[in-house]
Amino acid sequence: MNVTVITKDEHTVVALRGRLDTTQADAVEKEVVEILDQKHSHIIFDCKEMDYISSSGLRIFLIAQKRMMATGGQLKLCSLQAGIQEIFDMSGFSMIFSIFPDLESALNG
Amino acid sequence: MIKKNSLSFRIISHVLAITVFLFVVIISFNYYYSRTTIKESATENAIFLANNTVAKIEQILQPMEKIPAMVAALMEVQPIDRDSLFRIVKAIVENNETIYGAAIAFEPGFFPEKGRYFAPYAYRDGDQVETMSLGGQHYEYFFMDWYQIPKMLNRPYWTEPYFDEGGGNQLMATFSVPFYQIINGERTFAGIATVDLDLDWLTDIVSEVKIFESGYAFMLSGNGMAVTHPDRTMIMNKSVYSNAEEWNAPILREIGRDLREGISRFREYQLPGRANSWIYYRNLDSNLWAIAVVFPDKEMFAELHRMGTIIISLFILGLILLTMSTAGIVNRLASPLAHFADSARTIANGHFDQKLPEIKTKDEMKELHDAFSHMQDELARYVVNLKETTAAKEKIESELRIAREIQMAMIPHSFPPFPDLPQIDLYAILRSAKEVGGDLYDFFMIDKRFYFAIGDVSGKGVPASLFMAVTRTLLRSIADKESSAKGIMEGLNKSLASNNESNMFVTFFLGIIDLRTGIMQYANAGHNPPVIIKPDGQVRMFDKAKAIPLGLFEDFDFPELSLQLNEGDKIFAYTDGVNEAENQQEELFGDDRMLHIIQQNRDKHPKELILHLEEAVLSFVNDHTQSDDITMMTILYNGKT
Repeated sequence: MNVTVITKDEHTVVALRGRLDTTQADAVEKEVVEILDQKHSHIIFDCKEMDYISSSGLRIFLIAQKRMMATGGQLKLCSLQAGIQEIFDMSGFSMIFSIFPDLESALNG
Repeated sequence: MIKKNSLSFRIISHVLAITVFLFVVIISFNYYYSRTTIKESATENAIFLANNTVAKIEQILQPMEKIPAMVAALMEVQPIDRDSLFRIVKAIVENNETIYGAAIAFEPGFFPEKGRYFAPYAYRDGDQVETMSLGGQHYEYFFMDWYQIPKMLNRPYWTEPYFDEGGGNQLMATFSVPFYQIINGERTFAGIATVDLDLDWLTDIVSEVKIFESGYAFMLSGNGMAVTHPDRTMIMNKSVYSNAEEWNAPILREIGRDLREGISRFREYQLPGRANSWIYYRNLDSNLWAIAVVFPDKEMFAELHRMGTIIISLFILGLILLTMSTAGIVNRLASPLAHFADSARTIANGHFDQKLPEIKTKDEMKELHDAFSHMQDELARYVVNLKETTAAKEKIESELRIAREIQMAMIPHSFPPFPDLPQIDLYAILRSAKEVGGDLYDFFMIDKRFYFAIGDVSGKGVPASLFMAVTRTLLRSIADKESSAKGIMEGLNKSLASNNESNMFVTFFLGIIDLRTGIMQYANAGHNPPVIIKPDGQVRMFDKAKAIPLGLFEDFDFPELSLQLNEGDKIFAYTDGVNEAENQQEELFGDDRMLHIIQQNRDKHPKELILHLEEAVLSFVNDHTQSDDITMMTILYNGKT
């Protein structure tokens, strides 16, 4: 799993690449928590190249969502692959995240 | 002592190879250079000896030549006192030790009163000097070489050496000088003045020449006869030309020709059947006689070869010493290595306190010793550590095993569970992945209502299993108080979400079948939608969950749905360990494959259906490690009865 961060205007775009499985989850969680600690107001998780997510991975998204909600910030997800979108739908997570089809709409929405 | 491939063998063979190579190069160069130098100096030496000998001979010959020249000059002054001539020749012989005889020979009938022959001659006879007049019917001296040749040449002439047959076999040569008188105003040949030289002293001078072991000099006459020679039989025997014929040695002819033309030369000289030699030859200054210096080739280099033998012997001795001392040094240096090897073997067998060889030097061997000793300590410490960690790990593992046993004991697994309830039959399995996991299922009866639940806690390991245990315990206690699916779900969620610092969650499906009516109430918190299998072959998934997993937000609203079950309907619930099972190519088992197998086995008893699915999943996963718990539960509703 590879995590890269770029800044676009007021948005902090966190691009996740590869498989977010149980073995990777701890390391990714640390990186994500570090990003959250910087108190950005707008964070977008770009999941265009994220191929797999386990329940431990979902937990990271959840942590981010809770932290952003607590600080009044805004978290968006974009470009979910079909299989992952399905997991989000099935687990009901689609209901608690703002999900956009692509990065552009996430930046504008 | 020295094994092949051993360290010392290799060092020694390398050192020896280099040494021998260097030695061969140096000796070859030295040999070649010395050979050239020796040859040059031998040449110079031969030339010097020859020149020196020539000079010594000339020193004697040249004063001799003056005597007949003076006599000749005297004879040209007229008138000649004929009788005083005997005194003159006598005086010449008496006063010159090397002169054997002296003569003044006149043309036939030069003094008419003396007759045809007039040649006053003095010669040695023992200690006496006698005089006589040469000539007679048996000695027509005008025809002798010593007379005729200078007369014809009009110049002084040395005869070839010859043995005087009269006086004691003396080797002699005659020097003749022609003299003239003015007769009728014309310079006319009048006679010859001579001295006979005893040539024995020549032998002395020439035989003095020594070069190397057996090198020698000899003298040749103008005709190529040996005048002196260490081999006396050669003297005045045959000329070089006839020897050239006899011995088939053309080189002798060439030498004769060179000397006739006054050419001196240093050259190789090999006679058939003789050792290869070198020769230098040159003429005398006075005449065509020649001195030759000969020495054998092998003697020229004998010293060099003797030196070579000594050097090679010394070198071999040196090599032996070098080999022995190198072997000694290397063995002394390397001997601890063998001990180290022994120590290492002993250490490998677990004897960490094995004593190492003692090293007194402060070199690399000492470093090796220290490193070894350090390794010993570390190994000992490591093994102690390892024992401790292994013990600790075994303890943890046994505790985890117990934890899993407890976890497994929490879920019901005696089937059929309710033999006295014909309305319901069910079968369930929970096949854990290696570590303790977070899947759970449960079912129980309260007041004719059948409760069943399936769930999957996020993550794995002890935290997940604890969370699962909590969920399972809460479910039972909340179900005692709440009767609706919605109420139970919200109660569960509230309890799990409060103080959930770790943000863990559980997807959860809860169904409650009223056995009296067949109505199933259910709620789904983010769990994989179960499958309903109708007796008519219809297989269909429930709608996706309308709610998020339990444990996330305390006050979430969990909608409740309901469904009328008919006789023969089956509900198949599962966790994502089934449809997301992965093979080595990272392909997922998938919903479609799962539904297909359910379809194929729709008429089977719950247990058979589950076992078929399990087998399909396992054969799909094949050798790939099972990464998630696999949980399946099938409930068969047999109607109200």
